[in-house]
Amino acid sequence: MIEALLEALQLIVFSPSIWMVIILSAIYGIFLGAIPGLTATMAVALFVPITYWMDPVPALAGIATMTACAIFAGDIPTTLLRIPGTPASAAYVDDAYAFTRKGQSEKPLGMALTGSVMGGLFGAVILILLGGQLARVASMFSVAEYFWLYLLGLSSAVVVARGPVLKSLLGLLIGLFLALVGLSAVHTEARFTFGLPQLYQGISFIPAMIGLFGLSEVLRNVMNIRKDRSIPDPAADTREETGAGGWLKRNIWRPFVSVFRSPVKLISGRKGDFLRSGLIGSVTGMLPGAGADMGSWISLAASKRSSKHPEEYGKGSLEGIADATTANSSALAGTWIPALVFGIPGDSITAIVIGVLLMKNLNPGPEIFASQPVLVYSIYLSFIIANLALLVVGYVAIKTGRFVIKIPQKILLPVILLFCIIGSFAIQGSYFDVGIMLGMGLLGFVLERRKIPLGPVVLGIILGGPLEERFIQTVTGSEGILWPFFNRPIAALLGVGFLLLWGWTIWRNRKDKSEATDEDVSMQS
Amino acid sequence: MRLLPFKVRVIKYVCVGRALGTPVAILLVAVVLLLGCTREASYPNRPISLICPWSAGGGTDRVARQIASQLEREMEVPVNVINATGGGGVTGHTRGALERPDGYSMTMITAEINMLHWRGLTNITYRDYRPLMKVNQDNAAIFVREEAPWENLDDLEQAIRESPGSLQASGTAFGGVWHVSLAGWLLEADLPADAVTWISINGSAPSLQELMAGGVDMVVCSFPEARSLYDAGEIRSLGVMAEERLADQPDIPTFREQGYDWTSQTWRGLAVPNEVPDERYQTLLESVESVITSEEYHRFLKNSGFGSSGQSPEAFLQFLETENQTYGEIFNSQAFAEVVSQRYGPMFFPSIILALMGLIILTLLVTGSLGRRAEADDLKGIDYTHILLLVGAVIFYLLFAEYLGFILTAAFILLLLMWQFHVRWSTALVVVLVIVPLTYQLFAIYLRVPLPWGLLGW
Repeated sequence: MIEALLEALQLIVFSPSIWMVIILSAIYGIFLGAIPGLTATMAVALFVPITYWMDPVPALAGIATMTACAIFAGDIPTTLLRIPGTPASAAYVDDAYAFTRKGQSEKPLGMALTGSVMGGLFGAVILILLGGQLARVASMFSVAEYFWLYLLGLSSAVVVARGPVLKSLLGLLIGLFLALVGLSAVHTEARFTFGLPQLYQGISFIPAMIGLFGLSEVLRNVMNIRKDRSIPDPAADTREETGAGGWLKRNIWRPFVSVFRSPVKLISGRKGDFLRSGLIGSVTGMLPGAGADMGSWISLAASKRSSKHPEEYGKGSLEGIADATTANSSALAGTWIPALVFGIPGDSITAIVIGVLLMKNLNPGPEIFASQPVLVYSIYLSFIIANLALLVVGYVAIKTGRFVIKIPQKILLPVILLFCIIGSFAIQGSYFDVGIMLGMGLLGFVLERRKIPLGPVVLGIILGGPLEERFIQTVTGSEGILWPFFNRPIAALLGVGFLLLWGWTIWRNRKDKSEATDEDVSMQS
Repeated sequence: MRLLPFKVRVIKYVCVGRALGTPVAILLVAVVLLLGCTREASYPNRPISLICPWSAGGGTDRVARQIASQLEREMEVPVNVINATGGGGVTGHTRGALERPDGYSMTMITAEINMLHWRGLTNITYRDYRPLMKVNQDNAAIFVREEAPWENLDDLEQAIRESPGSLQASGTAFGGVWHVSLAGWLLEADLPADAVTWISINGSAPSLQELMAGGVDMVVCSFPEARSLYDAGEIRSLGVMAEERLADQPDIPTFREQGYDWTSQTWRGLAVPNEVPDERYQTLLESVESVITSEEYHRFLKNSGFGSSGQSPEAFLQFLETENQTYGEIFNSQAFAEVVSQRYGPMFFPSIILALMGLIILTLLVTGSLGRRAEADDLKGIDYTHILLLVGAVIFYLLFAEYLGFILTAAFILLLLMWQFHVRWSTALVVVLVIVPLTYQLFAIYLRVPLPWGLLGW
């Protein structure tokens, strides 16, 4: 264990190429996160084709860094323009923008950066503490348990997704169906391929992700391009820093400290709230289908409920920003826990990470903790380093962010379209994959317009194959179709959990529906 | 405060490029033109691609990459490995056979080429290729748990005969190479091919894990795949399906020694499409031969635990013929056909999914909530022409990239879109001249993606 840790340290800390990757992906993450409409998921989806030519450790370190940076960078346009840079920042738009109106945009940004870094580190600690322990439990699981676990994961993605349950269930089924295309893993027989040999390998995952998250976002954004839509000029801070000391102290050190001084004071004064937000983030992240954006909404709600000044929320509450940014960053590491331990992605980003791992012939699952300890420790370390990198790069971004967000979309979108094309083409050098990217981009665009969330779709694509495999393996191994799913204690427990989850969802939905119709009636009258 | 205006100015120069535009443009055009001027006439003068039908990091990929790096030195042009994965090998083998026969693409064919066409998954057979050399071979072996009651193959055969179908085995998916290995032995021993229930688990590693967890009774796979558990004393091998005992494991008896005339193996070999001109084939063969016989290559095989078995083109072709016939007999045998058609067929799971999907769509239609759109009030001002434009740009790439080459296509797409979005011409030009060469440099030069070549050679 110690050996593996040392090796991982050596692999990460003493390798200049990894530092290069981390710094570049930090800048890349900040850049994409800061541009409204471009999400952290999209940043990762566009990066994946490049990971194909990288070793697993730098590739994963790069992903960890760019997501951490993108989630923070989303706060920059949130604060300066009142447009959330990524969905994870949407919860506290009004709080953050209220400060910009007063000409104090650095306050919420400093708070957001501090919260993000500390939340990210908190999440990393939870990942380190829980990952190995859960893996030990997971190694006792056989195919039946995995079957239930996949079903539970898929169901929770449906249940936690925002919007009507039926629509996210439809999204999930679309994903599961897409996963069926190609040669079936269990029977090795072609299904839904229409005689096209290129489809035998199924819908290639990475072009599909680039389409779903890259192209569909471009399509969504391009609808709103106006000829001369100018972004409002963010109110410039009027406060000027002067003082004694050398140039370095005056221009570098003092402003740097001033960004963090009051946020750190605020967080250290509310240790309990910080712990709560971090935990909310980690737990939300671990639930399949719920990631950073859910974390920040839930944490903000909890923060408001326990605050002494609930009336400030929505009008400029630093406490709310602190708790929400802590949660959305700690959720990032949380999403990696089920991904690494069970191969069940915690959100769309880790769904792509699993794709990357599989591409590298690394099967996520409990074995990976025993067989690849160096890799696992490297992932832990990259999370810590990612957040340290964020501290520096994020500071620079606060100071220069107003220029980044000024790059007009009409230039950006064509370039991103080009990246979508190259990215999907690059992996296999196949035009067919570009076609898949296009098809999935249109599918994603249509689904989003119909309010069908994309998260469950991705989860379905990732878990469809394994789910069917475990199902067929369980039923071929023994007689009967129901009994083998319940004849082991853990399997039975998970099965009952699955039934309870759906029972509760249906019951809750009924209740909501009757309340909603009441509301409709009262609104009409 | 004094810093800010300066920053603004810098950003303006970079983004708008009004002042920098012309000189930068001229410089970049020159660079791009120079890139295209490095072509010669002799073979080989541009990168060769080596198609690998299996994913990066796997055994076949590792062998392919080793050979590629040595060939690169031998032939003095880049040799790029392309992983055309999926479909149990269908994708790569099909694509390799259909590549342009210009000597710039070869394929790492594997044992599956003699199996896929028997199962009706592809029309491609070994006859669509001109073989270069066999580069490696690993024989199958049967593994059981340390505490298993069987000491040799006779014991196992006895146990299978007593209660056919009750023992379970794995090692790969249904119809995969190790499944055929087991079925071939069962047929050789006059047992039906389904006398042992095959659990379809993808890959030898998860199969071995299931063996340890007690889910299956035996695993068939190659020795290197099971080495770590074997060395740890967790599993035993009852026999190896080879002509003679493995050089590094002389304790494991062969099937032949135990009275079964059966060998089975997975192998890897290099081949090119049939119509490659003869002198190019000879050039390629010479280089491949010197790589395969090199000490460096043998050291690589030994260190990675791969079996070595270089074979000349004639011997390789002979081998392909006999193996193809053997597999044909197994796949056409009545028993094996029964094994493949199972209780829970390939449409069992899809029909559940489709039924649920239909049910939900029906409910949504009835309640009318499927028609409710997001951003409802935003809908009026939407410019669908932009969306059509973007889709058209992707289709343009699909249709023309192969003829125009990457650089021209990409530049055209960017210019067209920015023109339609009313970006100033000078700005658009600067963006194109920066982005296109940069991405070309990154992907084609550093990452060695074979971007489309096209008219101008780039």
